Amino acid sequence: MKHMSNESGRFSDKVIVTNILNGNIQDFAVVVTQTEKLVAQIVRKMTTNADDQKDLVQDIYLKVYQNLPSFQFKSKLSTWIANIAYNTTVRYLQKKKIPIIGMEETTESKFIATEDAEFDTIKTEAVDILTKEIDQLPPLYKTLITLYHLEELPNKEIAEITNLPEGTIKSYLYRARKMLKDNVNHHYKNR
Amino acid sequence: MTNNHLTDETLQAFLLKESQDDAVAAHLSACAECREKLENYQRLVAGMQKMAPESFAFDVTTVVMDKVVRYERQKKRMQELVFWGLLSILIIVIIAFSIPFLSQIRAVFTAIPVFTMLLIIGTGLVVLLFLIVDLNTQYKRKAEKIFQNKLQPIR
Repeated sequence: MKHMSNESGRFSDKVIVTNILNGNIQDFAVVVTQTEKLVAQIVRKMTTNADDQKDLVQDIYLKVYQNLPSFQFKSKLSTWIANIAYNTTVRYLQKKKIPIIGMEETTESKFIATEDAEFDTIKTEAVDILTKEIDQLPPLYKTLITLYHLEELPNKEIAEITNLPEGTIKSYLYRARKMLKDNVNHHYKNR
Repeated sequence: MTNNHLTDETLQAFLLKESQDDAVAAHLSACAECREKLENYQRLVAGMQKMAPESFAFDVTTVVMDKVVRYERQKKRMQELVFWGLLSILIIVIIAFSIPFLSQIRAVFTAIPVFTMLLIIGTGLVVLLFLIVDLNTQYKRKAEKIFQNKLQPIR
């Protein structure tokens, strides 16, 4: 069933890309509408400045438009666009000298989880606390957590987006969840 | 076994069904500490799935389409500039190479009667006019296809 929906997805990708390449520029708006949520998960999780986000989104979609003739339908169009969004955002962070995973040590050292904290409960209704704690994570961890748990993308697709091996993604996700659990526990312990 | 607790990695893999080891399930049924840890992760994952997805404060489609249309116009202007530039260079080169042959060219026109010459010039002008009209029609048709969304999806 999933295979069939993938096939129909690829088919509609082909139709829409062919239309755009035939000069139907307005069809590009459909691509933007279909993928803006995924792009927002990446750009908004990795950057904080609203003006920069606007510039980044314009840059990302312009790159998509310019490179559309080279898209070979080896992946879903949304995955390809998410990959461009990820690479563009990483380059922006590199330019600004913002580490994408380098903040890990400082975040961990801030909260030394004790065995007692382990037993503190994490309240499911405290989504705002969780959101705040996710925002404290390094940009790459934030993005991986969002793509895996919110967008519910499989590791294979996340690997295509981030150009990282699946094993590395799994390992980063384990570390991110552990950091998040410890930080949330610490939050409740200090209340 | 209860003294040898499960690692966070093992617990997460078990929770997310990435591994289904019977030994892990057996340990969890006997170890309250690891069970508690697993429940923490369960709440964490459930909480993450409840979070509101991110969105932008601006209309992405409008912002992007503005940029794309501007880019297309700029590209077209650049292509026109290159076309007219190359055409001008070609005309200058042709004129430069024809200068030594000017007297021979003039001789062609003076050797024939005025009526014949006017006939040749008139025919040339009519052909040129037809070419310009055809070029203009094609340009308008293409512009209509691009900007008025007349293309049907290709199946």
